[in-house]
Amino acid sequence: MLLEQLSGNLIQGVVLGAVYGMATMGLSLIFGVLKVVNVGHGAFVMVGAFVTLFFFSSLGLNPFIAIPAAFLVGILLGLAFYYAAIKKLLNAPELATLLATFSAGVLLEETVKMIFGSEYRGFNWDVGKVDLIVTALPMSKIFAALGSVAIALLLYVWFKRTRAGSAMRSVVEDSHGARVCGVNVDGVYAMSFALGIGLTVASGVLLTMFIPVGINPYMGGGYTLKAFVIAVLGGLSSPYGAFFGGLVFGLIENTSYTLFAFIPGVEPFSLTRFLSFLILLIILLIRPTGIIKAK
Amino acid sequence: MSLLRLENVTKRFGGLVAVDRVSLEIKKGEFLGIVGPNGSGKTTLFNVINGVFYPDEGRVFFEETDITRMPPYKRAPLGIARTFQIPRPFASATVRENVAVGAMFGFQAKTINVEQSLEIADKVIERIGLSSHGNKSAGVLTPVEKKLMEIARALAMKPKLLLMDEAMAGMHPGEIDNMVKFLREVAQEEEIAIVAMVEHIMRAVVNMAEKVIVLDYGEKIVDAPTREALSDPRVVDVYLGKGAKEENAEG
Amino acid sequence: MKNRLSPYYPLLPVFVAYFALFLVGRNVEGTWQLVATLLFYCALGQAFNIFLGMTGYVDFGYVAFLGVGTYGMAIAITGLANFPQLGLGIVAIGFVLAIIMATLLSTAVGAVALRLRGAYFAIATIGVNEGFRFLIEGANLWNGSSGMIFTAQLNEILGRDLASRVMTLWADILVLFIGALAAVVTLLYMKSKIGYALTALREDEDAAKVMGINVTKYKITAFITSASFAGTVGAAAWALKTPYVFPPEVFEIHYTIEAIIIVMLGGAGTLLGPLVGALIYGVSKYYLSIFLPGVQLFIFALVIIFVIVTFPEGVVGVIKRKTRNTAIGQYII
Ligand SMILES: Nc1ncnc2c1ncn2[C@@H]1O[C@H](COP(=O)(O)OP(=O)(O)OP(=O)(O)O)[C@@H](O)[C@H]1O
Ligand SMILES: [Mg+2]
Repeated sequence: MLLEQLSGNLIQGVVLGAVYGMATMGLSLIFGVLKVVNVGHGAFVMVGAFVTLFFFSSLGLNPFIAIPAAFLVGILLGLAFYYAAIKKLLNAPELATLLATFSAGVLLEETVKMIFGSEYRGFNWDVGKVDLIVTALPMSKIFAALGSVAIALLLYVWFKRTRAGSAMRSVVEDSHGARVCGVNVDGVYAMSFALGIGLTVASGVLLTMFIPVGINPYMGGGYTLKAFVIAVLGGLSSPYGAFFGGLVFGLIENTSYTLFAFIPGVEPFSLTRFLSFLILLIILLIRPTGIIKAK
Repeated sequence: MSLLRLENVTKRFGGLVAVDRVSLEIKKGEFLGIVGPNGSGKTTLFNVINGVFYPDEGRVFFEETDITRMPPYKRAPLGIARTFQIPRPFASATVRENVAVGAMFGFQAKTINVEQSLEIADKVIERIGLSSHGNKSAGVLTPVEKKLMEIARALAMKPKLLLMDEAMAGMHPGEIDNMVKFLREVAQEEEIAIVAMVEHIMRAVVNMAEKVIVLDYGEKIVDAPTREALSDPRVVDVYLGKGAKEENAEG
Repeated sequence: MKNRLSPYYPLLPVFVAYFALFLVGRNVEGTWQLVATLLFYCALGQAFNIFLGMTGYVDFGYVAFLGVGTYGMAIAITGLANFPQLGLGIVAIGFVLAIIMATLLSTAVGAVALRLRGAYFAIATIGVNEGFRFLIEGANLWNGSSGMIFTAQLNEILGRDLASRVMTLWADILVLFIGALAAVVTLLYMKSKIGYALTALREDEDAAKVMGINVTKYKITAFITSASFAGTVGAAAWALKTPYVFPPEVFEIHYTIEAIIIVMLGGAGTLLGPLVGALIYGVSKYYLSIFLPGVQLFIFALVIIFVIVTFPEGVVGVIKRKTRNTAIGQYII
């Protein structure tokens, strides 16, 4: 019984983990290239969720069509924010970018609240279920996981095969060296920031498959915390480390939820969220450079 | 008794050996020059001496105590002070406050209070010729003034050992001569051993150091009294030769 | 010109401002609620500034300290309700408990996170408030998610009259004193070794270490000081003023946001900054909520980004720079 539930959760965990991983790649990309911590991360995820809501509920379109749209929205937001603030703060004390990204998150939340209001919304994209004996998975979640893997692979190819991608990698390795070798480092910064935000907003589309009624301007806070747990699992500056960190985290989250549910008198949902915070502290304590090594 | 002794110190960055089995010894009040081309490991050697990095191999002794793995903040109160190759002032604080920080947490840390530190700061600032800048933010000083401020901050620590990383880069010949004279005086009065690394400023080396160590690719290739060291063919080869070539190329 | 009191001149504008606030609130009909809110913001900013302003580290989970402080007072009042003869002593115990709990939490978080550098520290703190909230709810600590309501106990302990005066007046006056005390401590820190050490490490942590500064020790000291003040603010402004506590309310990140706005707007690391920031923020929030309800955070998020990009030293930071070496300058730091 427990075993069955656990193995069912294993599958659920991997599926959710893939999406979590993709949702953290943008955060790690931005930190890797610019050494900027996007504390407003969750708010950008939230924007993606609202783009999806708009596509599905207002236009009646397949939510997957929202992915490129959300990506584009993210690129534009990223560029705007980069040129309005981040670019001017790259040489300022760390405090400045931390507070600026944090404030940007608040700004987005408040903007969305003014447009859509602050009640919880959601939509249900019903495309059937698959029965996997130990658990039943909605197709929409499977599509979301596959979409995440596809985006991660696309990013991988882009890094390896395009000039822009290799310029970005060279900046991650050694920004000074890259500048000396004629890489347009400032351009790479702008592009990476925009790409990172684009990926983050796009990930919001995929996450909506898991939260049928959880779309709200303030939904991002929880994702910011999760994303940081995942990012430090993967070493903070590697998008691929983040992807695998997401898988691991999805598993931890699902398993611990199942196990906590067996303890009488506790609320498994809350304890699971407390656990993710604890994991964050523990990783930072023992290995701030990350547990998972991925290039 | 030696003031500072390094035994076979090695520091690697990944595959790169920045400091390669260097041993050296400095006595109280001695004036040692370290020269070597760019990237030869001079700054890294300093970082190992004051604890910014711990060596991968070898040991560091200060007054015969093993300090190899002692954190930097504990070394300063023993009497180890330094200046940085690229000045690192506490930019928002005034020059006076910067220098007072040196006094406050340096060799006298245990016995001195804020008032006394500020008094010491005023004296040192006066002596080094920055009096008119005392109440300015350190961040607005010119590069040379910043270097002077760093020397003042280090001297306010009342060190037994002063590590100066390119302290005179960017100064005019006249300023260098004054600086050398000043340092000699202070060092003699207070019995400070000075290790100065001087890259392209031979003038300073010749006038200042009793002994010279030459580094090349992290290895100590020469350790001799100044005159002797400067005429050593390996030095001419590694250091002057290369410099001369570069100058020719530029010209 | 130079006398023994002159280092303390900068407290003068602080005290004058608090006194003026008090006078306005007591004498102008219908202003006490606004004044009480302003006093809360002043104390919050003053307390937060001791950490954020003096170290340059950001704690995104700061509200957790107000939260545990609130719980400290709640636990004292509910736990000792059977000993009404202790009277106001219970409130005093509540404050002590608030300080102890905030100190314990900040020591635990600080011991892990303050060994890390800026960005990693900030990341570590992001979940502190939520984490603590979920621990209380999840493990059913102190009544878990149903929270604690202790109006009845407060009435019993203090008597109805005193209890209602505590809730409507004395709690706010306590907040005033906490804010003023935090300002005094800030100044004392600035004038002593710890202040110099914090300035140094805020500007350049590696250089500070080389200068002999035990940066972790000083960061933790500032962190714990700041957290203890936050604990007392929670105990007074939340637990005593409104005698109930619900986890989602007292761990709400909103208050961290407000603390950041107040400190950055007024001037991080200055003595007068948090007060000026609190007044600007509190008054404009008040009027915005009347004339443009619901947009105040939107506007302030924009304002903060603007401040960080164009004048990161804040209003008082600018004034301080402009008045340095003038007669007014000795009152503004
Ligand atoms: N923190 C570091 N990480 C990786 N490599 C480093 C680091 N610090 C120094 N190095 C490398 O170690 C070698 C020695 O550098 P170091 O700065 O000690 O030389 P230097 O003699 O001071 O040079 P310069 O004359 O340019 O100041 C160089 O190849 C440098 O790139
Ligand atoms: Mg060097």
